[in-house]
Amino acid sequence: MTQPVTREVVLRMRGIGKSFPGVRALSGVDLTVHAGEVAALLGENGAGKSTLMNVLAGVHGDYDGVIEVGGDEAAIHSPKDAARHGIAMIHQELNLVPDLSIADNIFLGREPRTRWGTRDRSAAHARTAELLAGLGLRLSPRRLVRSCRIAEQQLIEVAKALSNNVRILVMDEPTSALADAEVQRLFEVIRDLTGRGVAVIYISHRLEELEEIADSVTVLRDGAYIGRRDMAGTTRAELIQMMVGRPLGDLFPRESGEHGGGDVRLRVEGLSLRAEAGRTALHDVDLTVRAGEIVGLAGLMGAGRTEVLETLYGAHRPSAGRIELDGRPYRPRSPRYAIRRGLALVAEDRKAQSLVLGNTVAFNASLAALGRYTRLFVDRRRERAAVAGQVRDLRVKTPGLNATVRNLSGGNQQKVVLAKCLLTEPALLLMDEPTRGIDVGAKAEIHALMSRLAANGTALLVVSSELPELIAMCDRILVLCEGRLTGEFHRDPAHGPPANQEDILAAAMARQAVLDQETADA
Amino acid sequence: MPDQTATEEETVAAETGGSPPRLRTRMRRLLPVLGSLQGYIGLILVIVLGLATKGEVFWNQTNLTNAVGAFASRGILAVGVTLVILTGGIDLSVGSILGIGSMVSAMMLVHHNMTPWEIVPICMLVGAFFGLCNGVGTTWLRIQSFVMTLAMLSVVRGLDRQYSNNVSVGTQVVNDQGHLTPHSAQFQDLGTPGHNVLTGVLGQGVYYPVLALVVVCVVFQLILSKTRFGRHVYAVGGNATAARLSGVNVTAVTITVFVLSGLLAGFAGPIDAAYSASADPLAGTSYELDAIAAAVIGGTSLAGGRGTIVGTFVGALILTLLDNVLGLNAVSDNWQLVIKGLIVVAAVVLQRPGFFAAALTPVRRLIGSSPREGDEK
Amino acid sequence: MKSLIRPLVAVVAVVTLAAGCASKAPSASGGSGAGGKKQFVVGYSQSNNAEPYRAQLNLQLEYFMKQHPDMKLLPIADAHQSSATQVSQVQNFIQQKVDVLIVSPNEPAPLTAAVQQACQAKIPVIILDRSVNTDCYTSFIGGDNYEIGKLAGQEAVKQLPNGGNVVELRGIMSDQPQIDRDKGFRDAVKANPKIKIVADREAKWLKDSAVPIMQQWLSKYPKIDLVYGHNDPMTLGAYLAAKAQHRESQIKFIGIDGLAIPDGGIRAVQLGELTSTFVYPTCAKEAADTAYAIAHGQQVGKKQVLHTTQVTKENAAQLYKQYDMSGKISG
Repeated sequence: MTQPVTREVVLRMRGIGKSFPGVRALSGVDLTVHAGEVAALLGENGAGKSTLMNVLAGVHGDYDGVIEVGGDEAAIHSPKDAARHGIAMIHQELNLVPDLSIADNIFLGREPRTRWGTRDRSAAHARTAELLAGLGLRLSPRRLVRSCRIAEQQLIEVAKALSNNVRILVMDEPTSALADAEVQRLFEVIRDLTGRGVAVIYISHRLEELEEIADSVTVLRDGAYIGRRDMAGTTRAELIQMMVGRPLGDLFPRESGEHGGGDVRLRVEGLSLRAEAGRTALHDVDLTVRAGEIVGLAGLMGAGRTEVLETLYGAHRPSAGRIELDGRPYRPRSPRYAIRRGLALVAEDRKAQSLVLGNTVAFNASLAALGRYTRLFVDRRRERAAVAGQVRDLRVKTPGLNATVRNLSGGNQQKVVLAKCLLTEPALLLMDEPTRGIDVGAKAEIHALMSRLAANGTALLVVSSELPELIAMCDRILVLCEGRLTGEFHRDPAHGPPANQEDILAAAMARQAVLDQETADA
Repeated sequence: MPDQTATEEETVAAETGGSPPRLRTRMRRLLPVLGSLQGYIGLILVIVLGLATKGEVFWNQTNLTNAVGAFASRGILAVGVTLVILTGGIDLSVGSILGIGSMVSAMMLVHHNMTPWEIVPICMLVGAFFGLCNGVGTTWLRIQSFVMTLAMLSVVRGLDRQYSNNVSVGTQVVNDQGHLTPHSAQFQDLGTPGHNVLTGVLGQGVYYPVLALVVVCVVFQLILSKTRFGRHVYAVGGNATAARLSGVNVTAVTITVFVLSGLLAGFAGPIDAAYSASADPLAGTSYELDAIAAAVIGGTSLAGGRGTIVGTFVGALILTLLDNVLGLNAVSDNWQLVIKGLIVVAAVVLQRPGFFAAALTPVRRLIGSSPREGDEK
Repeated sequence: MKSLIRPLVAVVAVVTLAAGCASKAPSASGGSGAGGKKQFVVGYSQSNNAEPYRAQLNLQLEYFMKQHPDMKLLPIADAHQSSATQVSQVQNFIQQKVDVLIVSPNEPAPLTAAVQQACQAKIPVIILDRSVNTDCYTSFIGGDNYEIGKLAGQEAVKQLPNGGNVVELRGIMSDQPQIDRDKGFRDAVKANPKIKIVADREAKWLKDSAVPIMQQWLSKYPKIDLVYGHNDPMTLGAYLAAKAQHRESQIKFIGIDGLAIPDGGIRAVQLGELTSTFVYPTCAKEAADTAYAIAHGQQVGKKQVLHTTQVTKENAAQLYKQYDMSGKISG
């Protein structure tokens, strides 16, 4: 996919600017996209990628600059305008109605009609089946979207866009929730689309993906246009430097050599959890984390990694298992109790699980540790001093402590979550995908923070879907599959099998072995 | 103390590149406490309207005290309802709880000759009990608060009517000499219009319901803005999952706000009974809607997590002063209803975050000037 | 957690049951009474129990029915001010084949068809207080609101020989009694052109609503000579507001209803709070007697208009005794 593209220009955005109250989100940004091209849009979180795409999709009606579609100037002030010009956007958070069927979702708002003006279901189903088949999806059009997997839902969004005669398809981090095999599927679909002349604007943080799929890369930084490169012949280092504005040394600052000779902080034996709607069961999970040690939890989606963290944190009630914290028995009751015992959780979905988006930085950061500043009333001075300290240490980019968290970029939101956790001074920090959807700069800062915490004796248990990150950061990596431990890997080969991507993946996909074990158990 | 925090903030701001002027920083800090600016604009508009049309007749202590006093019991309900709405719920049962509170108080006075010092706490307990039922229903039984409190509205009204046999009970108990009994006189002081509280301190003085409303507002504003519980209320309303994972006992907070709402409604009961010198089996009917309207006009979002008691107080003032001004101007009752409805709509639209910025955009485009930063508020 | 829910549910259930039992409902099945003697079953559909006047009417009807041993009143059906509910209640009584049906219509038009159904089923119907748009009933018993309004107006003329400013607190605007009480009053005060009705507003029959309205009038009008309220609670609300500003002695208060309950108008006249009120007859005794007469095949008047009694300080004590129901009825 790296042939030089000399086809016609389908989209040209020139001098695009956009302000929000208090923030200049974009100024003078250019973007050119050719027919049949995969144009990657790269930049740290808060660089303005989403804003630019929202302008293109008509979400922000008022902007400065000019948009040309197919050579003609297009006034795009509403999503309707965008649709008229053949522009479709697939948001990171999918926009499907879970309780409608696939066909109903695809034709939502423009349902085919019969002669009598009633809904023509058979036409909708036939057309949907056609679209799904074109994408290699074998699903019934009548199926409820709720019962489809994330990857399938993603492709349903694609089908929806295709049904609308899309010429320009914007995909915002389409792979962030997908497993590797599913990513490959998606890429095949994208290649197929570009083969048909559709232009794809692709937003992602994963540089290795861009190398595979993108033809050109446009880099934004702080709402400004930095440059455009052909993907072929551009190195990662160069792209990172464009994004960050400074050469970035080591992405993962943790020095080699295994740490964690400290005392056992957490000992878990035989932890089990019953399955419930949307929750994986856990079977007999044993693990230990020492003070000053970073332990990683690897596995595919739905392997039970999140469940391990959330169960330890008291969000679920385990059905069996013995847990000790610093040698004293610990029975997870509630997050409140977990915090009292020195646990903290950086949850998987920061918007849904960690932040009160409509409230301020100070409010969010001090929420879990409020008791420390409270007698009868909350001592606002001490509270703000503590929060300000964390905001400084974590280099949170915010207009002030009273800024609304919703208006911060993803990376800065995550830092607010970290501030909240750190203010409770945890002895054991549970982190679930701490760097997901975060720009490179913030990622490196979070990695540095993890090293610093471990060096100070905090125990860390970290879930991540990015194996390179786990391998670089963790002293030990435990692999889960279908709610069971299927492997343990070490940084220091002296302690056991060394961590490398192939072996970890093999353990993570040891489904057969697990199933065999289950039959043996029975 | 304010100086110190302001400096901190500027340090942070300076470090991160922005340098907002000091005044605006302070204003922003005050805004969450004071409620929405739009509310005050509305209040001023109503007052100006009153002054312009009726002058002295409107702007004198007696009239203003009367206006606030007439709404006091509903205002107290609005405070409780605001708490519930802040957690993302709704409480439709407060009008009925006020009704049973007023009936219980009148019965205790008339049949048991109890003092107000005994009556008021008992009414609060009665209200708190029904609030507890609401809280338990919404948390443990997982019934949506709208449904739960709608049911409670019916249950409590039914109990009230059964208890009273549908007969109103007068609270002016007369002894053989034709004078009020001491307890009845004390009870009447809870609500009888007149100037009997703070005389001298506040001009001619106000009467008890006005004082009660103000005290309740101050206390609950302090609870919301200063205590850990207050923070938790906002957290639960803003994002219940995040609140739980941050160690907030969401169930306890939810039950507590319903109990407090019921408690306040029970407290308002005797005041309402004393105000009209009788407990009517219909007392408080549809008060919950006025209370919700006051909260909404005051900038409380029904989605939860946003709003203040001060805002609700301002909303209550707007409603009652508007009623007063329209009444003094002999506007027909039918049009009053229309106007009040429109005010609610206007309040909600005007208080949408970024409304002014969005409204000004077309103007700016015409003028061609560049947008000024931070004119949201 | 679960262990707590169960007792709670139990408590709620007990409370609900207790509330249900407390109404001491006689069973609706009784058609034939003791001693083999024919017992006549009477059904009564009330438009809204939650008005003191109607609650009083219910109590009185139960009392006067008991005076006739062979008459049996089924539990009173409360329509909660909803015509639709009342129609279905009337139809229920028709299904139960009651011997006499008494209806206090919530509104004339919606109840007309239901009353006609009863008539077709050969069930004698007594209409109380408000009319229906058909002749197919046995007897109408009611007061004359226009007449009462007129008497109130005449009292106003008497109280204000030199004329003066009158304010009027009205019931719910769409209610027929409100319309009649207003019209009668206005027709009567025309007798003295110096009497001016300076303001009138809807206080919805409620004391609570009347207080702030009166307060506004007191602010607005330095001179108010008489308050006319369409019922006693509203007039008493106005009295409270005036008293707070020490203006009650300069104002006459005229109300309507004259209920003999501690919180009612007769007591208020006795205490000197109201200048005068007019008893709006509850029709209960007449209804019970008429039902008895119908059941025993006697002729009854098609239209029985009951006359009001004016309550003044002189006759208040005696009237209270006459109409007081407390002690006569258990529960």
